[in-house]
Amino acid sequence: MFKLRFEPIAGKSAEIIEKVMSSEDISSEPALEFKLRLCIEEVVENIVNYAYERGNGFMEVGTSREDGVLEIYFKDGGVEFNPLDAPDPDITLSADDRPIGGLGIFICKKLMDEMSYSYENGFNVLRMKKRVN
Amino acid sequence: MFVKIDNEGDKYDVAVSGRIDTTNADQFQKDIAPLMECGKCDIVMDCTELEYTSSQGLRMFLMLQKSVNQRGGTLELRNMRPQVKEVFDITGFSSIIRIV
Repeated sequence: MFKLRFEPIAGKSAEIIEKVMSSEDISSEPALEFKLRLCIEEVVENIVNYAYERGNGFMEVGTSREDGVLEIYFKDGGVEFNPLDAPDPDITLSADDRPIGGLGIFICKKLMDEMSYSYENGFNVLRMKKRVN
Repeated sequence: MFVKIDNEGDKYDVAVSGRIDTTNADQFQKDIAPLMECGKCDIVMDCTELEYTSSQGLRMFLMLQKSVNQRGGTLELRNMRPQVKEVFDITGFSSIIRIV
């Protein structure tokens, strides 16, 4: 288990992403690394920008790998929010009708094998799983 | 991330390289500003060297496509790498932005 805690997190997205990507659980196979980085970036961005109503807070990120499945979890103490509740964007709309934004978590849902959310003891915990070999 | 823009009249040749992510999406928006202001122009963007884009970059591509549509221009993305193309595919962007 690889675990990192970040505080403060405001403006630290890039640094947080790089540190998480340094976990030895993260695959270095280019196609997979691309997908993992993208999903990590999307979740980290959401937490950094939206988890805390005012001021700053912390984020904890953990990675583990078991039986060929990589699991990454993200924990924060911000307002209770399940990002998986948001409806998926309607990808059949024309460019003119497509709203800007709302794609980050949808991309993760598409690229990861499994996403789950729970509110545990006052913390938001988002988990993603990906078969890596 | 680097954006190179050449134009002859209404024909815009653009090459975008590197990574569009949380650190530089704002810069990318500034860099493509000329493409938002070129009227009824035809834009060809070469993506051979585009290595990565997060949803931040996708926002900019959608904004650009909306803007181009309003002006009656055209936008074409060329030579996209498979991994980047997959992100355009899963988000439905491949069907609203011309990718060849």
